[in-house]
Amino acid sequence: MKLNIDGLLVWFPYDFIYPEQFSYMLELKRTLDAKGHGVLEMPSGTGKTISLLSLIVAYQRAFPLEVTKLIYCSRTVPEIEKVVEELRRLMEFYAKETGESNNFLSLALSSRKNLCIHPEVSSLRFGKEVDGKCHSLTASYVRAQRHSNPNLPTCRFYEEFDAVGRQVPLPAGIYNLDDLKDFGRRKGWCPYYLARYAILHANIVVYSYHYLLDPKIADLVSKELAKNSVVVFDEAHNIDNVCIDSMSVNITRRTLDRCQTNVDTLQNTIQKIKETDAAKLKAEYRRLVEGLKEANVARETDVYLANPVLPDEILREAVPGTIRTAEHFVGFLRRFLEYLKSRLRVHHVVQESAPQFLKDIFDKVCIDRKPLRFCAERLQSLLRTLEIADIADFSSVTLISNFATLVSTYSQGFTLIIEPFEDRTPTIANPVLHFSCMDPSIAIKPVFQRFQSVIITSGTLSPLDVYPKILDFRPVTMASFTMTLARTCLCPLIVGRGNDQVALSSKFETREDFAVIRNYGNLLLEMSAVVPDGIVAFFTSYVYMENIVASWYEQGILENIQRNKLIFIETPDAAETSMALEKYQEACENGRGAILLSVARGKVSEGIDFVHHFGRAVIMFGVPYVYTQSRILKARLEYLRDQFQIRENDFLTFDAMRHAAQCVGRAIRGKTDYGLMIFADKRYARADKRGKLPRWIQEHISDGSLNLTVDESVQRSKHFLRQMAQPFRQEDQLGLSLLTLEQLQSEETLKRIAQIAHQT
Amino acid sequence: MASLSEEVLLVVKKVRQRKQDGTMYLMAERIAWCPEGKDRFTVSHPYADIRCQKISPDGKAKIQLQLVLHTGESTTFHFSNDSTALKDREAAKELLQQLLPRFKKKANKELEEKNRMLQEDPVLFQMYKDLVVSKVISAEEFWTNRLGGVNNTDSVVQNNKQEVGISGAFLADIRPQTDGCNGLKYNLTADIIESIFRTYPAVKQKYSENVPHNLTEKEFWTCFFQSHYFHRDRINTGTQDIFSECAKQDEKGLKSMVIQGVKNPLVDLLSLEDKTLDEGYGNGLTRASTSSTNKTIKDNSNAAIIKRFNHHSAMVLAAGSRRGETAAEQASETSSTDGNSRDSDLFQPPVKKAKLQEAIEYEDLQRENGQKTVALNLKKSYRYAHGPVPLQSQQYTSSQDIINSISCIQHEMTNYKPNLTQVLSSAAATSAIAALSPGGVLMQGGSQQAINQMVPTDIQGELKHLYVAAGELLRHFWSCFPVNSPFLEEKLTGHLEEMLQTAYSKLHTWQTRQMTMRKT
Repeated sequence: MKLNIDGLLVWFPYDFIYPEQFSYMLELKRTLDAKGHGVLEMPSGTGKTISLLSLIVAYQRAFPLEVTKLIYCSRTVPEIEKVVEELRRLMEFYAKETGESNNFLSLALSSRKNLCIHPEVSSLRFGKEVDGKCHSLTASYVRAQRHSNPNLPTCRFYEEFDAVGRQVPLPAGIYNLDDLKDFGRRKGWCPYYLARYAILHANIVVYSYHYLLDPKIADLVSKELAKNSVVVFDEAHNIDNVCIDSMSVNITRRTLDRCQTNVDTLQNTIQKIKETDAAKLKAEYRRLVEGLKEANVARETDVYLANPVLPDEILREAVPGTIRTAEHFVGFLRRFLEYLKSRLRVHHVVQESAPQFLKDIFDKVCIDRKPLRFCAERLQSLLRTLEIADIADFSSVTLISNFATLVSTYSQGFTLIIEPFEDRTPTIANPVLHFSCMDPSIAIKPVFQRFQSVIITSGTLSPLDVYPKILDFRPVTMASFTMTLARTCLCPLIVGRGNDQVALSSKFETREDFAVIRNYGNLLLEMSAVVPDGIVAFFTSYVYMENIVASWYEQGILENIQRNKLIFIETPDAAETSMALEKYQEACENGRGAILLSVARGKVSEGIDFVHHFGRAVIMFGVPYVYTQSRILKARLEYLRDQFQIRENDFLTFDAMRHAAQCVGRAIRGKTDYGLMIFADKRYARADKRGKLPRWIQEHISDGSLNLTVDESVQRSKHFLRQMAQPFRQEDQLGLSLLTLEQLQSEETLKRIAQIAHQT
Repeated sequence: MASLSEEVLLVVKKVRQRKQDGTMYLMAERIAWCPEGKDRFTVSHPYADIRCQKISPDGKAKIQLQLVLHTGESTTFHFSNDSTALKDREAAKELLQQLLPRFKKKANKELEEKNRMLQEDPVLFQMYKDLVVSKVISAEEFWTNRLGGVNNTDSVVQNNKQEVGISGAFLADIRPQTDGCNGLKYNLTADIIESIFRTYPAVKQKYSENVPHNLTEKEFWTCFFQSHYFHRDRINTGTQDIFSECAKQDEKGLKSMVIQGVKNPLVDLLSLEDKTLDEGYGNGLTRASTSSTNKTIKDNSNAAIIKRFNHHSAMVLAAGSRRGETAAEQASETSSTDGNSRDSDLFQPPVKKAKLQEAIEYEDLQRENGQKTVALNLKKSYRYAHGPVPLQSQQYTSSQDIINSISCIQHEMTNYKPNLTQVLSSAAATSAIAALSPGGVLMQGGSQQAINQMVPTDIQGELKHLYVAAGELLRHFWSCFPVNSPFLEEKLTGHLEEMLQTAYSKLHTWQTRQMTMRKT
């Protein structure tokens, strides 16, 4: 249908529209008009993606100079592909309605592992191996060597692309990952480099967070994207963790050992080259004197060698003289390495800031701050000069030099913690140096600064005001939309007591309590008898789940559950879990019914949807607090308190509740779907926990369902499920949670819709 | 009788049978023995015919191996090579032990089927008695003709019968009870055993290998329950246990399932993440769970439980849907034969595309556009368009022939004139029929007694049997036509004629006996 969103003509590829989609688009339009950033929360299953795409595409068509590009970031590969498919649907609708094919170029970009078509390289299993192999075939100096020795292996797809691929732009259209591969095969071009090249002139790019947030990748891939782009972070409820992860480094003794071998190899190679080709080293030296810029001619294939710090932090000067010659630099690395080794030989935990560390290193081994800052750049240059093809082997020394650059660049927002052993096993020495980023705003800052509009959106972003705080930006719009429902298709219940009135809680003191474990078992058992098809149960951590499963087994609870449903359990091994998941779906599909026991914060809770009969009930056993004894977390909490005035408890609860909301939200993926959401912990009843759940869940928790016993919740579930099992037709929704074009044009509805958006 | 294409698995020399020296051969499908100096087997038993093997006790002077057949006959071999007799016997025994169960299942199934049919159908049973027991035709011949036809109708019935799945908790149903004197009693029903076998094929294999040669059924199950296999801490399985192998096989099965990967890309956790952080980067918050070096035994046994539940559920699920799965697998096999291996990405897209489409579908946002249809997926569209092509087209008339014959018939029809002068009037015809019916004018004169009252029932019965038997023979006779194979020809000219002769003479003797009985 054709919509009028605040004066903008938007083509929407469906016959009906949800009211919240309409208000979402209104809000989005306002954000784009203001050229500012926005935070928008809308429940999953209400068509967030298609609303976003419809509006932004319409905006791009109406104001082609204002918004040239849409950069859509999502988290997982299936998510990325889903977005592209929705986009394809939209574009097909455009073509059908307007009768003209528009010249939009949209494509997905993913890692080499998902795009490579080289027969040997693509058969490798791990992304790292694929990257390494590709690099050894296509790195600039490898290719240069081939001029003198044509027998070296090559990647014909890259060669072909390099020869002709850049001259003709990718024809307009929608390219999903498989389409890119197809196209690549037909033309004989490397799809990965084709895609990386094409994103520069594409209208819509869909890729994963890392391509924008991780400076090691962003610098190479996304550097030249136009400033007047709109960036969308979908499923952004965990965006702070992604930011932090991309800037943090961990160093173990094993890293240092490997680094030692790396340095030895470097030394030997330098020695060899010196004997055969001393001119090469001299040339490098000269280049370094002249300045980095010259040495750093953009070479797209040298991916491994990117700077770990953000672009505006990189010094634009010449490398200091102390590390300019290759031997000096290796000596420098050796000294640095020895220093790190001595630091790891501690017997107690050390925590210090970056300036403290720099002072200490200067006192002990006389290493200055400035050469440290250039460490990463210098190593890049050296590796390139030495023409080392197998860069993957040098990951340890790269890590160390990245750490050096990071620690000397940022004096704020980072902490350095050295732990001599793990907390659980104090007798086994396993020293680790954590250089941990505590401020997610560091990594995302350039994104906010550079692009005119950044939209942060997800199904669960409550409470909304936390995100602008911890990411340090000023949004022009913040809105939370609820799900308008013709029937209450979600039923959140808070089970606080067992039938014997024992308080249910996963808190530390009662963790081992048999009464609690037994009552949890009873809850699952009773639910397995009542709920049809699939039930998903989440535990707070893997260890906790293991213990509970073991004691359920001993008490015979699992056997009784097996009478009702099959049991599948998440394991730490991803392949095994995938198999369990598939079998789980199969069991739901053929009517036998199954239970999946899983872990909050695990892969299942973050990436797998349980639509319709795959998840008729989600049970959240306990509140999924993060492991609070971790020193890194403590440091981060402290930092949040000092910098952003966020109290520790508030943040911990916020973090726990967003994960709980993610878990239970897995079951509802649309208005025709329905499911029970059972929070099995009495602490959920408290206002400070409950208040942090997304609004669309919160408003269905009645006061009567705050502290139920197992029996009461079973009764309510039965009632709910019986209601939901009645036929539900489109007409039932129409006018309430589903609108036709005519309904949308009436004043009354518009007024009603205006109330849906929850402004903060 | 030379074994041209048969694979000889074992040759044992110096084996005596009926006091005659000779050589024993174990072949792929049968065991055979030929006397020394001759080149043909005088003893040959297909494995399927052998019910069991028996061996002489260890202490005895004669080292023997006895084969008991299903028919009750037995053959005894005496291993007479002094030095290696025991070893030879063991080797033969071992091999037979492995081979017999394989054929046994087949043979047993057939026998059971035959038995069932005979029990269910008294007429068939009588016929069997008349024809086979009295040696008119051989049992084999009787069944070849019978099983084929019956099986066809039978399999339809079986297909309609819904297969019962397995309860997920069948192991939980075996509640151990104390029997009062320090023992445990497990109650096993046939259903549970069936469930165990279907869920754990490895146990079934052990069962058919060991029962009843090595263990009695009871001993086997005692062993099973005592074994760690049944209990949770499977990590400590000893090597002497016969079930330790099962545990290993299960492990292997699980691993192969995992390696096979998942078909649905949306649940493949391995390829979920687009760009994983390199080793050494990241916040390290997840590190605690990844360090697996120092796991306690308790952790390990917990992990074993979890693994076992996953495996158990997968097996139960597979056992329930095995039939459907094989069909599905075949389908996927055929579709993957277009030149590409399974994991190549050319094979993936259809599943992936469908799943993606499914995932982005908002059914309530669209107008319902009628019934959803399933697209016809044609492997070879020309076959759909043309229908099955006859293999021997010369047997069929060409379209020209058909047109010719039609025109011919049409021509005759136009020229057809009914010759009504020679036809009775309808009234006369009905009166004639009425007169000839029982109670009619023409039937008055004869004896009123129906034949079934005249003849005593036992004679009737005998006559019926003779009739049925003769009918069966005739069926055999007619089933030989058209004679298109030398075998049929031989059957027809050879013993079938003989058989008919026998049947006829049987009837004849019966007749004469009746005659003489009546006379006396």
